Amino acid sequence: MNKFMKVQPWASLLARLVLGVVLLLAGYLKAQSPSKAQMAVRAYRLLPVSIANLFGLVLPWLEIGAGILLIVGIAVRYSSLFGGALMLLFVGAISQAWARGLSIDCGCFGGGGEVAAGHTKYLQEILRDLGLTATAIFLYLYPHGKFGIDKAKLEGAHLE
Amino acid sequence: MSKKKNVSKKTDNTTRNIAIGMILFVVLIGVGFSVLSNKTNSKVSIPSTVSAADGYGIVLNKDAKVKVDLWEDFQCPNCRNFEAVAGGYINDLVRAGKIRVAFHPMTFIGPESILAAAAAACTVDSGKFLEMHMALYENQPAKENSGTWTNAALKVIAATAGDASSATQSCIDSGKYVNWTKNIEADAATKNVNSTPTMFINGKQLDQTHYLNLAALKADFAALGVK
Repeated sequence: MNKFMKVQPWASLLARLVLGVVLLLAGYLKAQSPSKAQMAVRAYRLLPVSIANLFGLVLPWLEIGAGILLIVGIAVRYSSLFGGALMLLFVGAISQAWARGLSIDCGCFGGGGEVAAGHTKYLQEILRDLGLTATAIFLYLYPHGKFGIDKAKLEGAHLE
Repeated sequence: MSKKKNVSKKTDNTTRNIAIGMILFVVLIGVGFSVLSNKTNSKVSIPSTVSAADGYGIVLNKDAKVKVDLWEDFQCPNCRNFEAVAGGYINDLVRAGKIRVAFHPMTFIGPESILAAAAAACTVDSGKFLEMHMALYENQPAKENSGTWTNAALKVIAATAGDASSATQSCIDSGKYVNWTKNIEADAATKNVNSTPTMFINGKQLDQTHYLNLAALKADFAALGVK
């Protein structure tokens, strides 16, 4: 246990950086091309067109916000909860696209929309997002890591 | 001792709150900017055959009965393949006045799609759009946004398409229709166009397998009395 306590802050830092950088990058690439991001959301055929279009515009900026929070280490519990929920949402959305036989690119890092049959990468996309979900769960359980702004608070108030 | 602790806690909270506030600000500004820049704007310059009623598409043969809508991106490889298979046939139908076509050049692939679409729109008023449309696909760069399609290069393509008029050349140079391309994107979003090429014939989406199958495409038109 003692060993774990030594490693845990570094593991939490690593988890924060992994999830944070992925979210920030994904958001940044999508925000560069909002019409493509909208197309990617529509291609899942889950939401009414107008809501899918709004979601495509808002999501990249939420990812950017959560990514920055995780990287600098603020409100890690909440942002990891958000990141984890987002990853599960993606896993669900990609799975249903796969199950329904749609041919789409997940649009996770920009791009997206319909692709030629046989050019889908559903399994890789789902496994990656499950890995990120696990990272988020770890962070939710152990939010306090090295070099986080939240961490300094630990002395004064144990719980947020 | 306990006083010192309180001070440091307060400072930490301030840093944290300022940071949260800044991040929230960035997110809100970003969302606002994205939403505003993805709306159609009725004030932009548009070519003469373009109207909001047609989703800002470039309309040829506005009085023909069978209506075709085509969403494409001049940088999209599948659009080039479609043009290679069906372009000649569609152009013949247009020149014979048998179909009404609204071309919607999308630009989601990036900056050079915007330049190409805007340049194509410049050839509408001189009646050379079909030729320019063909010439763009014939000269599609192998790589997207590789720096090949500059306004200078697009002027040369327009000239080879038979439009070396000074009006067209200065239209391309000035980027007259660059903002119009945003309207095409915003309109396509509302029509659930999720890939290119997407073709609607009389409002019905073309079967996915008919794009690269000329016989099937001809049969679709024949069923509507277009031969």
